Amino acid sequence: MSGCPGSRTIDFSENTAQEGSETGKRPSQLRQWPIQMHLVSPQAPYFQGKDILLAADCTAFSLGDFHKDYLKGKSIAIACPKLDSDQEIYTEKIKALIDDAKINTLTVMIMQVPCCFGLAQIAKEGAEKATRKIPIKQVVVGLEGNILSEEWI
Amino acid sequence: MENVLNKEIKQIIESCPEVGRILDEYGIGCVPCSVGSCLLKDVVGIHNLDPEKEATLMYRIEKAIYPDRNVAKPVIDPTKKSAPKKITYSPPVKKLVDEHVLIKRLLALIPTIADYIETSMKVDKDLVLRCVDFIRTYADKYHHMKEEDILFKYADEKAEIIQVMYKDHDTGRGYIRQVVEGAEKGNKAQIKQNMLAYQELLTQHIKKEDEILYPWIDRQLSTAQVGEMFRRCNEADASVGEELPKKYEKFIVDLEEKFLQEVTK
Repeated sequence: MSGCPGSRTIDFSENTAQEGSETGKRPSQLRQWPIQMHLVSPQAPYFQGKDILLAADCTAFSLGDFHKDYLKGKSIAIACPKLDSDQEIYTEKIKALIDDAKINTLTVMIMQVPCCFGLAQIAKEGAEKATRKIPIKQVVVGLEGNILSEEWI
Repeated sequence: MENVLNKEIKQIIESCPEVGRILDEYGIGCVPCSVGSCLLKDVVGIHNLDPEKEATLMYRIEKAIYPDRNVAKPVIDPTKKSAPKKITYSPPVKKLVDEHVLIKRLLALIPTIADYIETSMKVDKDLVLRCVDFIRTYADKYHHMKEEDILFKYADEKAEIIQVMYKDHDTGRGYIRQVVEGAEKGNKAQIKQNMLAYQELLTQHIKKEDEILYPWIDRQLSTAQVGEMFRRCNEADASVGEELPKKYEKFIVDLEEKFLQEVTK
C-alpha cells in the first residue's frame, strides 16, 4: 500500500459486524440551504449567533449517525480542503462568521486522512484573524465511520 | 448491591471502614470529607474511572460489605493496559484552571510568609493586607464568583460536590477574616494559624476542582453550553478590566522575588 492516504483504494465491504438498528426512520436535521462553503453567506440568518458545524465533504457519508449526533441543533457549511479552489475565501468567511455573524461555537469535522487537516488549519487561521474569540472543537472521523478524537483546540 | 449504591458514602464507610480504604486506593478521598452525603453511585460515577477499573472497584466494595456473598469477579485482560486518562477541558473551564495556577503560586508561598511574620519583630501589616487583597479580589471576586455565578449553574447545584465547594469558599472567607483581625490586633499566632488553614483548604479545594469537579461538569456540557459559558466568562472578565489579572500577576511575581530570596539567604 502506498500513495496518498486520502485517495488510496480501500474496500471494507466485508466489515458487516457493526452493531446498529435498521428500524425506525430518522428525519433530516438540516435546517438551511445552501451548505457549500463557497455558496453560503456569513450574513445568512441561519448563522447568526448559532453553533456551526464546518464539515469536510466526506464526513457525512462516513458517519452513520451524522444528522442525529453532529448536525442536530447546528448550522452547517461543507468544504473539501483537498479539491476546492480559492480557499482563502474560506478563511475570510470563517472570520466573518465569528466577527459579524457572532457564532457561538465552531465544530470542525474532518476525516483522518492528512489532507483533511487543512480544513482545521483554515478554521484556525480564520479564528486568529477574527477579533472575537470563540471555542473551536475538532472532531476526527475514521475511514470506517468511527470517531477517532473529539477535542477543543 | 442496588440499595448500597443509593446509600450515603459516610454511612457506608461508618458501617464498613474497609470501603474507605478501597476508595482511597483508587484516589477517591471520601474518608476525610466533612459532609459525606454523596451517594456511592455518584461517588464512583463522578470519578470517571475506566470500565475495567470501575468494575474491579465495585466488586471489591461489594465483597467488603458482603464477604459471604457469591459475587462474580470481573474478568480483566492482563495484556490490555489502560493508559492513564488525560484530563482535557473545554476553553472556558481551561481558563478557570489557568487562574488556579496563580492562586497556587500564592499558596506555595504562604508557609514562608507565615514564618516571616512569626519571626519579625513587628507584624508587617501591609504585607498581610496585600495578600488578603489578592485572595479577596483575585481568588474570590474574580475567580470564585465566576464559579458561583456561571460554572456551578451548569451543574446540579444541589449535588453534594457543589455544596462542598460552596462550603469551602465560605470557610476560606472565614479564615481570611481571622487573618485580617490578627493583623489589626498584631496577633502573629492568629495570622499564621489562619493563613496556614487557608493554604491547606485551598490546596485540597483546587485539586478537587481540577481533577474531579471541572471534568465532571465539562462532561455534561453541550457544545452550545460551552459557547455560552465562554461568552459569559469573557463578559465577567471584561467587566473588571484586563488590568486586574495583570496587577495580581505582578504582585505574585514580586512576592516570589522577595520570599524566594528570603529562603535562599
